[in-house]
Amino acid sequence: MTIAIQALTKIYNPESDFPVAAVKSLDLTIAQGEFVAIMGPSGSGKTTLLNMIGGIDSPSSGAVFIDGEDITHLSEQALIAFRRDHVGFIFQDYSLLPVLTALENVEFVMQLQGHSEAECRQRAMALLTQVGLAGQQDKIPAKLSGGQQQRVAVARALAPRPRFVMADEPTANLDAKSTAELLDIMQSLNEQEGTTFIFSTHDPRVIARAKRVIVFEDGCLVEDRRQ
Amino acid sequence: MLIKLAWRNLWRQKRRTLLTAFALALALFLSLFMRSMQEGSYEHNIDNSARFSTGLIQLQSPEYATTESIEDLLPGDDDFIAPAKALPHISYALPRIESFLLASSEERSKGVLVYGVRPQLESDYSGIEDKLVAGRYLTPGAQQVLLGQGLAEYLKLGVGDELVLYGQGYHGQTAAGVYPIAGILHFPLAQLDNQLVYMPLSAAQGLFSTGKQVTAWVLHSDNLDEVAPLTERLSALYGDRVKVRDWQSLAPEMAQQIALDRAGGLFMICLLYLIVGFALFATILMMTLERRREFGVMLATGMARLTLLRLVMFESLLIAALGTALGLGVSGVVIGYFYYHPISLTGETARMMLEMGWEPVMPMKVSLALVRNQVIIILSLMALCLIYPLWRTQHLVVVAALKGGDDDQG
Repeated sequence: MTIAIQALTKIYNPESDFPVAAVKSLDLTIAQGEFVAIMGPSGSGKTTLLNMIGGIDSPSSGAVFIDGEDITHLSEQALIAFRRDHVGFIFQDYSLLPVLTALENVEFVMQLQGHSEAECRQRAMALLTQVGLAGQQDKIPAKLSGGQQQRVAVARALAPRPRFVMADEPTANLDAKSTAELLDIMQSLNEQEGTTFIFSTHDPRVIARAKRVIVFEDGCLVEDRRQ
Repeated sequence: MLIKLAWRNLWRQKRRTLLTAFALALALFLSLFMRSMQEGSYEHNIDNSARFSTGLIQLQSPEYATTESIEDLLPGDDDFIAPAKALPHISYALPRIESFLLASSEERSKGVLVYGVRPQLESDYSGIEDKLVAGRYLTPGAQQVLLGQGLAEYLKLGVGDELVLYGQGYHGQTAAGVYPIAGILHFPLAQLDNQLVYMPLSAAQGLFSTGKQVTAWVLHSDNLDEVAPLTERLSALYGDRVKVRDWQSLAPEMAQQIALDRAGGLFMICLLYLIVGFALFATILMMTLERRREFGVMLATGMARLTLLRLVMFESLLIAALGTALGLGVSGVVIGYFYYHPISLTGETARMMLEMGWEPVMPMKVSLALVRNQVIIILSLMALCLIYPLWRTQHLVVVAALKGGDDDQG
């Protein structure tokens, strides 16, 4: 799976006296299995870029090709299906459904995909074990620590077997130990299963582990290096 | 999964959910109680009033409704009424002659309303025999009369005296006769007490020279709700040769009074539901607005917008179901109790009702239609309250919702 971004631009409030260009004519390619960190100061356009790659925001101009298909022209229905089947999301504040247990949270997207209950249960359990939460599956998010919740979020993101995982500041609320454990898990999944991970972050611990670092400033790519 | 999610979401704000459900339950209980008591009283009054005078349904000659003339008659034989009596829910069929005559004693005269009735049948139906204050009740086939007490006093007549009746009979013949007074009746309504004369049907047919004919067949149904369908069936059965009139047509003042009273009650119920509707609306709106970010996450991770709308609807439906179940449970117990133990009236009202021969109670009506209507109102209220929250959810912008900001797509 290849993500190819061409002349991608996002301008907020374009009709106003003070339009804000969050992303400016960006060209970028991300190949299958990459472990990419997009870094930059707050307001540099990292999250906007992730949202457009993940199909939850639309660009003002330009295109995002996923395996040659321009997702910026998909209908809302097609975009929902695209996100459900091909993108895993990890949010800064975990964003688990508070009334569901860890297991049910992981099963949730798979159920939206229409998998059988047994299949959902089996994969969700396997993923929770993989992220080190075996035995915690029946706890609701409020009963888990921040690090544990983020691991559930990782398992949830991976449950539908996505082509890539978008993680927006995934370690921002975690302590050093939880961050290290989470990065271990994601790195291992990246290496073992070849899942593409794209982070937006300014956490140096994440940047240190990334294989590729893209530096973003004022909506422009200022550096793209491989480590 | 969706129902499980909806159910658990309800209990995230347990107090709010319970308060809303209780408010709905209270509104349902109050409206059901009020409606059951209203309709129960109406039925009680209509039934009593019908038994006392017009009956629930009357078969008349097509012209009689406007002329009220002894010229416009119907056959009074059993063959004529047999098809009507064969219909389900017809519990009584009484032939009557009803006409105005002049009544005289030695000293005074007065216009009176003469009822020719089958004594035993009439007594079974209207309990007229219980209103006897002097003498004895009518004997079938006898040439005798019963008088209202006020009339008897006016004419200065008593039991055993003779009453002269004079007027016009069928086909212009003279209706005249002298009848011994078998008994005196007391009616609490002066209008009736001062003008009613009862006599056996055969005597009245002889007096008016109607042969076997009658002015009306009075029919009664064991269920008031069956009156309308029975009226239609009887009209179809007898065609143009008979005018079928229900109690609304026979007692329009009473029908209007009930309609007015019912409208007043419904207005009160509307006010009640309006208040509860605001509470329900606030709950549903809060349930959606405070979870914009959560909805954004659901949409981002691939939940279809329609599925999200269904989730919101399920949650609202569950609150409504909870309130309805609670309300129906309480209503069932309370209304059930008062159905078997009707509220007794006391004081002047009770005394007047007893004099009329009516039981002084306010009975409850137990009806599936009443329950169904209230449930429909609650579901409609819920649907109304859902419109705006659903619109907001439908227009939720995922990116804005994830930021927890304004979700209006504009």
